[in-house]
Amino acid sequence: MSKPYILLVEDNPDDVELTQRAFAKNHIINDIVVLSDGAAACEFLFNETARGRALPQVILLDLKLPKISGLEVLERIRADASTRLIPTVILTSSKQEEDLLEGYRLGVNSYVRKPVDFNEFVEAVRQVGLYWLVLNEPPPGVGGGGM
Amino acid sequence: MAENSVLPPDLSLVLERITDGFFALDAQWRIAYMNAEARKLLQAPRDAIGEFWLEAFPLARGRLFEREYHRAMRDQQPVQFVEYSKTANLWFEVKAYPSPDGISVYFRDVSSRIEAQREIERNARRQQALIDFGRTALAGSSFDQIVNDALDLVRDVLETPIADVLDFDADEQRFAVRRSLGWGAYAAFDPSRPLVAHLEQVVRTGEPFVCADVRIDPRARALAQLQHNNVLSCVAVLIGTSAQPQGVIVVYYPLTRTFSVGDVRFVQAVAQTVAETANALESNRRMAQVLESIRDAFVAVDRDLRITYVNSQMARYWNVAPADVIGRRLEEYTAHFDVEGVALRSFKEALANEHSMTYENRVRGRWYETRLYPFANGVAAYVRDVTRRKREQERILNINAELERRVAQRTRQLEIANNELESFSYSVSHDLRAPLRAIDGFSQALVEDYGDVLDERGRGYSERVRKAAQRMADLIDALLRLAKVARAPMTFAEVDLSALATTVVEDLREGDPERPVAVTVEPGLTATGESHLLAIVLQNLIGNAWKFTRRCDRPAIAVGRDPQGEFFVRDNGAGFDMAYGNKLFGAFQRLHSADEYEGTGIGLATVARIVHRHGGSIRAEGAIGEGATFYFTLPGSKD
Repeated sequence: MSKPYILLVEDNPDDVELTQRAFAKNHIINDIVVLSDGAAACEFLFNETARGRALPQVILLDLKLPKISGLEVLERIRADASTRLIPTVILTSSKQEEDLLEGYRLGVNSYVRKPVDFNEFVEAVRQVGLYWLVLNEPPPGVGGGGM
Repeated sequence: MAENSVLPPDLSLVLERITDGFFALDAQWRIAYMNAEARKLLQAPRDAIGEFWLEAFPLARGRLFEREYHRAMRDQQPVQFVEYSKTANLWFEVKAYPSPDGISVYFRDVSSRIEAQREIERNARRQQALIDFGRTALAGSSFDQIVNDALDLVRDVLETPIADVLDFDADEQRFAVRRSLGWGAYAAFDPSRPLVAHLEQVVRTGEPFVCADVRIDPRARALAQLQHNNVLSCVAVLIGTSAQPQGVIVVYYPLTRTFSVGDVRFVQAVAQTVAETANALESNRRMAQVLESIRDAFVAVDRDLRITYVNSQMARYWNVAPADVIGRRLEEYTAHFDVEGVALRSFKEALANEHSMTYENRVRGRWYETRLYPFANGVAAYVRDVTRRKREQERILNINAELERRVAQRTRQLEIANNELESFSYSVSHDLRAPLRAIDGFSQALVEDYGDVLDERGRGYSERVRKAAQRMADLIDALLRLAKVARAPMTFAEVDLSALATTVVEDLREGDPERPVAVTVEPGLTATGESHLLAIVLQNLIGNAWKFTRRCDRPAIAVGRDPQGEFFVRDNGAGFDMAYGNKLFGAFQRLHSADEYEGTGIGLATVARIVHRHGGSIRAEGAIGEGATFYFTLPGSKD
């Protein structure tokens, strides 16, 4: 079994770096696997090699992704028996009502809008990490806590 | 006694007593006996006994008397008959009994009975003649023809050679000859002469004038002065009523004559028929005038759909002469254009249901509207050319269709534009914010990681960069809200504005508990509208009031409704210069610098948009340093 890790699906490298920075500021040292589009995320989660790999502790999913949209990735995660129990958090700029509704309809665990203010962003990441990586008891088979 | 008879005296006595006339002829047709009644009735002389009977009564020759007596003798059978005796000028009922020695004849006067019978027959004939005349008169084509028939009829029935119909002109009080028959070589009676007192009386009273002998009747002086033999007696009766006299019928007889009541009544009956016919013709003429004057084509049919009347307009449509179609069947004229049978079906339906109805049909490229009105004896139909109206309707239909097409097209374009706007908003909310996050985040990272190489001023700049990014993020959010307000679907309901305002105030107090703002909210403010949108209105207006009273000593806000029904939010804060009032409600328009009062400049634009979407209006009053009042109306709201 490999180490527990966080899967971040985000195409904007600035946001990737800021997110990583926010994790670091919150002393979250878990590995972060970054994938920059929806297709790559699906490949990572569902192809043959994924079978032998541990599932991520939490998936942070942007909505506006190249190739396959975040909502579609979410739908596939929830449709596949091997991934359907992974805590998945939408981390996006949008707070459009349709996106919110569709996200929850597809079974997202949390929906977090990325604040422009970096301090607020750090705080948001802190709370997400605290909750999903520390407080929350993951379902069996999903990687354990690792702060 | 012996001279009278060959019979024994006692038998003779019996025969003299019976009331019937009696005579006996011997085998040689000589008069053998004749009683007193027979001599009286036949005005026979006493010496007729022994005379050959046909020499005594030559007028019986060749008549029933001679024929029947001979038959009786030949057959030796009794006979019985009724015959008019020219000898006696009386009707006799005769019974004759033959024997080989001669024939015995009993007879009696039945003239009164026969006359009565003949009177009955004559009356019946007159009655029939009147009925026939009435029928002809109704069907008659012209009044003059009817007058002519009337004169022929009275002359025929009353056996008088001369008769006149005179018109009476009620305005001029004068008579004029309409028709005179039978005067022959003689000059007709001239009614223009002043001596017509007898006729004037008829007109005045309505009573008939009956004169048996003009020579001795002072009322008939005018007739007496005609001084010729053709006129000795006369009857004059009124045509019409004394209230509306139309004229007179006058019947003249060349001999003195006592006209019977039946004679006078007959002439009166003819006069009545003439008057009624004249009236009917007059009303027909008026009706025809009306029917000719209307622009509609008109046709009337009876219950068998036979044509009883067409006006000239209808005849023109059918290309026939009006007189030729009377009595013909309707479908003869409608069949060639009534391809689908609409006309015939409608006529039958109108007759059956006794309901007026209307149908339209197209004939040779033109449109006709037909209105059917059933009446007791048939259906009247008015036909109007409505081609122009129909074309107008078609044109309007086309225009409407074109309009609908354009509206649909415009709607599609709008939908596309809306969808584009939707994806634009989506992009804005995603893509514009991402760089802002980077600007903010990396500015901070710069300070955090490289703070030691930046001096105080450098860190200040970094702080400004972050503030600017934050402000832009606020602007983007405000713009998105404005766009959302414009597109949000509206569900109207009764909204408690007082409750909404109170909630807004509570939220403001919670976020800013130190501020002692006196807020009054009038209770019972209700409006009809979309509650989410109206909440945004109050959030903005009360929020503004809260913000702009920040520098007041005793800040106060009032929410209420004025007597004119306008809702208002009033504060005693910074106010504004009315000169710039029109800029208040535009997007990004601000009357205060960001240093004084923060804000995006979009709040009031959003408020105005919501009020307008409710069909209301908004305005503001205020002065610098004296506060501001925002008034708005929501038309769906109850006063």
